[in-house]
Amino acid sequence: MFKLNLKIALRNLWKNRGITSINVGGLAIALAAFILVMMYATYETTFDKENPNYDNIYVVGITYPEFKTYYTAAPFAKAIKQNFLEVESVGLIKESSFELTIKNGKKTLFTGKILAADYNAAKILNIQPKGGLVQPSGDVERLTYLSDKSMKTLFPSKKDNKPEMVGFGASNSGITGTIAGSIKNNLHSNFVFDGVSIGNELGNGDNYDMNNYTICLQLKSGTDVINLEQKITDLYQAELLKSKKGKRNDEIKGISAFLDPLSNLHLRPKAGNDTPYKILIALSVLGILILVIACINFTNLSIAQATKRAKEVGIKKVMGAFRLQLTTQFLVEIFMQCFVAIILALILAELILPSFNNLFQVQLTIWDLENKLFWQLPLILLVITIIAGIYPALVLSGFKPALVLKGNFSTSKQSYWLRNGLLVFQFSIAVVFIISLFTINSQLKYMQSQDVGFKTNQVVYIKNLTLFNKPAKMGSVNFEPVREKMLKIPGIQSATVATYIPGGTNGINSYSANGVKANIDFVNVEFDYFETLNIKLKEGRFFSNTFKTDTVNSAVVNETAAAKYGMKNPIGQTITGSGIEYKIVGVIKDFKSQGFEIAVQPTIYTINDPHGDYKTQIMVKIEENRMAEALAALKSQWLQINPKDGEDFRYEFLDELYGKLFKKQEQLQSVFFAAAILTIFIAILGLFAFAKYITNGRIKEIAVRKILGANDLQIFKLINKTFFVMVLVANLISWPLAYILTKKWLETFAYRVDMPILPFTLSALITILLTIVTVTIQARKAVKANPVDALKYE
Amino acid sequence: MIELKNIEKYYANKGVKSYILRHVTTSIKQGEFVSIMGPSGAGKSTLLNILGMLEEPTYGEYHFMGEDVTAMKERQRIELYRNHIGFVFQAYHLIDEMTVAENIEAPLLYKKIPGSERKSRIADVLDRFNMVAKKDLFPNQLSGGQQQLVGIARALVAQPSIILADEPTGNLQSTQAEQIMDLFKKLNQEEGITILQVTHSEKNAQYGNRILTIEDGVIKEDISVEKQM
Repeated sequence: MFKLNLKIALRNLWKNRGITSINVGGLAIALAAFILVMMYATYETTFDKENPNYDNIYVVGITYPEFKTYYTAAPFAKAIKQNFLEVESVGLIKESSFELTIKNGKKTLFTGKILAADYNAAKILNIQPKGGLVQPSGDVERLTYLSDKSMKTLFPSKKDNKPEMVGFGASNSGITGTIAGSIKNNLHSNFVFDGVSIGNELGNGDNYDMNNYTICLQLKSGTDVINLEQKITDLYQAELLKSKKGKRNDEIKGISAFLDPLSNLHLRPKAGNDTPYKILIALSVLGILILVIACINFTNLSIAQATKRAKEVGIKKVMGAFRLQLTTQFLVEIFMQCFVAIILALILAELILPSFNNLFQVQLTIWDLENKLFWQLPLILLVITIIAGIYPALVLSGFKPALVLKGNFSTSKQSYWLRNGLLVFQFSIAVVFIISLFTINSQLKYMQSQDVGFKTNQVVYIKNLTLFNKPAKMGSVNFEPVREKMLKIPGIQSATVATYIPGGTNGINSYSANGVKANIDFVNVEFDYFETLNIKLKEGRFFSNTFKTDTVNSAVVNETAAAKYGMKNPIGQTITGSGIEYKIVGVIKDFKSQGFEIAVQPTIYTINDPHGDYKTQIMVKIEENRMAEALAALKSQWLQINPKDGEDFRYEFLDELYGKLFKKQEQLQSVFFAAAILTIFIAILGLFAFAKYITNGRIKEIAVRKILGANDLQIFKLINKTFFVMVLVANLISWPLAYILTKKWLETFAYRVDMPILPFTLSALITILLTIVTVTIQARKAVKANPVDALKYE
Repeated sequence: MIELKNIEKYYANKGVKSYILRHVTTSIKQGEFVSIMGPSGAGKSTLLNILGMLEEPTYGEYHFMGEDVTAMKERQRIELYRNHIGFVFQAYHLIDEMTVAENIEAPLLYKKIPGSERKSRIADVLDRFNMVAKKDLFPNQLSGGQQQLVGIARALVAQPSIILADEPTGNLQSTQAEQIMDLFKKLNQEEGITILQVTHSEKNAQYGNRILTIEDGVIKEDISVEKQM
C-alpha cells in the first residue's frame, strides 16, 4: 500500500511539477535562511559553553549611581574568598588593550589584547595553553603565551613548544622577556586575547581606590545567587568603609555589587547594553517568520489542490480506507517535499555561508561533527511537515464521499476565508519588511549625508606609546618637538595629540560652574586639536600658544555643556574640576563624536589636567593629494620624529574608525534587505501558484462570460479584483505595525529622520504592482483560451 | 439482507423542512437485482446513499445483514465497505493517477490481502473483462465504457455481497450500456451478487427482477419484473 501511495504521490507531484517546484523551491530558500539564522543563534548563545563549569561561573560587577562596571579592586577578590564558603574559587583578570610591540630579531608583532590572569582565573576560565596549564612558580614569574598565529609571525619555523626569548617595545628599549609557549585563540569565548600572561597572584599592591581588575567566581553547584549577591554587596560596602576613612557613609550605601553569569556576558551583560541580544531575537523571529510564510504557501496550495484530490479521497473511503490512513498518506506526500526542500536548503546555505560569515564576522561551518544541526534538522523537518501539512491533511481526509462523488464538488467556499487569510498574512509580513527596509535606508542615507560637525576624511590617527602630558606625568615628553618635525613633511597641515579620538568614548569627571555640579565628558587635547578636526567655533577662540594661560587653566566647552550649566555668556566664566579653576575661552558648535545613536554629551576640552588620562592619540591632517607621500615620509622618519615610540609606524584613517559606528546599522540594513526580498519573493511565488489554481477553477466561468460578451480587460479586472483587495488589506494591517516597529527603531537614534511616509506608499505600490503582474500572467492563459474547449463536456 | 423501516430524510432550512425521503419502508433480499426509478429530484440517489451508508437518515431504522447501521461506529461501517459493499458510479470515479491494474488493486490493499493473492485476483478479473492488454494504461486513455468496466472490476475484485450502482450507464452510449447491463445480470444470476441500481432508463430496469419507483420521496410502486428474456 505504501508503495502504491508513493507512486500516486510522485505522479501527482510530477503532474503539477510547476507548482511543486515553486513550493519546494520557496521552502528551500526559507529553510536555508532559517538554518543560517539558527546556526548563528546557536553560535551566539554558546560562548564559553565548552567550559565544564559554565553554569557556575559568575563575574562580579559593581553598580554605581550613574553606571555599572566589571572593574573592581583586586583586594576584594581575597575578601570574597575568605568570607564565603559557597565560592569554590576566585580569579582575577585584567585586559590590557594598548598595543605592545614584541620582537624576535627583524620580526615584529603588534599585539592588541594581552589578558593578564592569575592562576585561579586561568583555571576557572578554562584557559589551556598548548601542553596544558602550568602553575607559575613564586610571586614574580609570569608565564606568557601567545596565540598560534602570533607565534607563527615571530617564529615561522618553530615546531616545538619550548619557551623563547623576545624583545619588548622598540629594538633600542633593551627590554626582553620570555614567551612560554602558544595558546589556541578561541574566538568563541567572552575572553578573547592575542596573548595571555599568567601569574600566581595579581594586584598584590592594589588598594580599594584602584578599580583595575575583574573578578570571576566559580560557585559551588546549587548556590543561592541572589542571596550571595546581597552578602557580597554588604561585604563590599564594609570593605570600602574600612579602607576609605574620609568617604561619606551615604555615598557608599549607593554602591552595590552584582553577579553576572557567564552565559549573560556575551549578549546581555548587566554592565553594558543588550542590543546584541535584541538583534539576535529579532533575527530569530525573522527566520521563523520567513519559514512560516513558506509553510503557508504549502498549506494554501495543498488546499487549493483539494478539489483534485477530493475524488481520490471519496473513492478510497468507499473502498474501506480509514481516515487515519488518508491523513498519513497526505502527510507523507508533504514530508517528501519537505525532505527535498531541506536537502536543497543545505546546499543553498552552504553557498550563502561565506557572505553570511563576512557580514556577521563569524566563522560558521555546516559540516562540523559537533554541529547541533544534525539532530536539529530532522526535528525541523518534522515540525515543518506538521505545520505545512496537518491542516490540508485533515481537510482532505475529512471529505464526505457522498458529497465529493456527486461530481460538481468545489472546496472554494469552505476554505475561502482561511486561504485568503493566509495570503493576507504573508503579504502583511512582506509589507512590514519592505517598510522597515526603506526606513532603515532613509536613516542611513541621512547619517551619510548629514554634517557631523567635524571632518575625518583627511585625518590620520597614529598609534603611539609615548605619553605627551604637560606638566609631565610619569615619563611623558613635550609634544611640541614632535609636532614641529611632522609639520616639516610636505602635505601635513596640522598635528595634535589628545586623550581620546572621536568615535571612541570620552572620560567622565565632575565639574562645577554657575552653581551647578555635574558629571560631564572631558577630553584633554593639545594645540591645533579643533583645527585638525575642522570643528566649528561658535564664539570666543580655540587654544593658541600665543596665550600663556592656555596650557594652565583655559578650557573650551561645547554648546551642550554651556547649556547644561545654564551659561548665557560662557566666555570668561569659570568652571571648576580636577582641582583647577578653568576659564572658558571658547565655545564650539556641537559635533557628533559618538555617532548618531547617542546625543552629543556636554564636553569640556582642556590642555592641562592633572587627573586626566594620558595623551597618546596623535592625529594628523594631511592634504588629500599628498596623502601617500606624507605617510611614506612619516614611516621612514618615525624613529627621528617620535624616538620613544620606536621604529614602528602604525596608523589608521580616522574616517574608517568613525565609520565603525555605522557598522551595526549597515549589518541590519543587509539583513532587512535579504529578509524583505525573501519574504516578498516567497509570497509572490505562493501568489503565482495560487492565482493559477484560482483561474483554473474559474475557466468555465470565464468562458461563459466571454460568450456573454465580456472583453479581455473586463475579465482581467474580474480576476485581479479579489487579489487586489487582499493586498490592500494586507497593507492596511501592516502599516500600523510597521509604524510602531520602525518608530521604536528610529528612537534608538538621538539624531534621526522624521517618520517618512514614502516607505508606506512605496510598499503599497510595490506589492500591488507585483500582485497585478503575477495574477495577470496567470489570467492571460484563461482569457486566451477558446471558450469552446472550456465548456466541452468531459 | 437489507431492512428499511420508516426512513426519513429532510433538510431544515430557516425552519422549513424540505423532505427528500418520507416513510420509506422496504426490504431487499440476498440475490435480488433491484432497480430504483423515478423522476429527477425524487430522492433515488439519496436512498442509494443511505443504503450505502454514505448519508445518514434523519430518522428511521436500517438493518444491514441483521445489524443496526444507525448505531454503528465509523470503523464498523468501514469494515462493511471492505467486505460487503461495492460501489459503481455514473462518472466511473477511477483514480486518475493510478493505472487500470492499480485501480483494481486498491480495495484489496485496504482489505489487507497478501500480495500473491492480490496478483492472482487482479489477473483473474482482468482476464474475465478482457482487459489484460490495457492493465498499464491510465483512465484517461480509455473510453467511457472501458472506464466503467474497470469501475465494476474494481467493485468486484473485493468479492462484495452487494453492488450499489448509481446510474452506471448514464454517461455511456447504448451499445456500451447494454454490455454493462448484461454484465450485471450475469453477475446477479451466476454469482448471486445482490445488485441495487439507480436508473432513468426503463430498458435498463428490465434487466433486474424488481423495480422500486420513487416520487417526491415516497415509494410509489414496488413491482417484480416478468422474465421475458
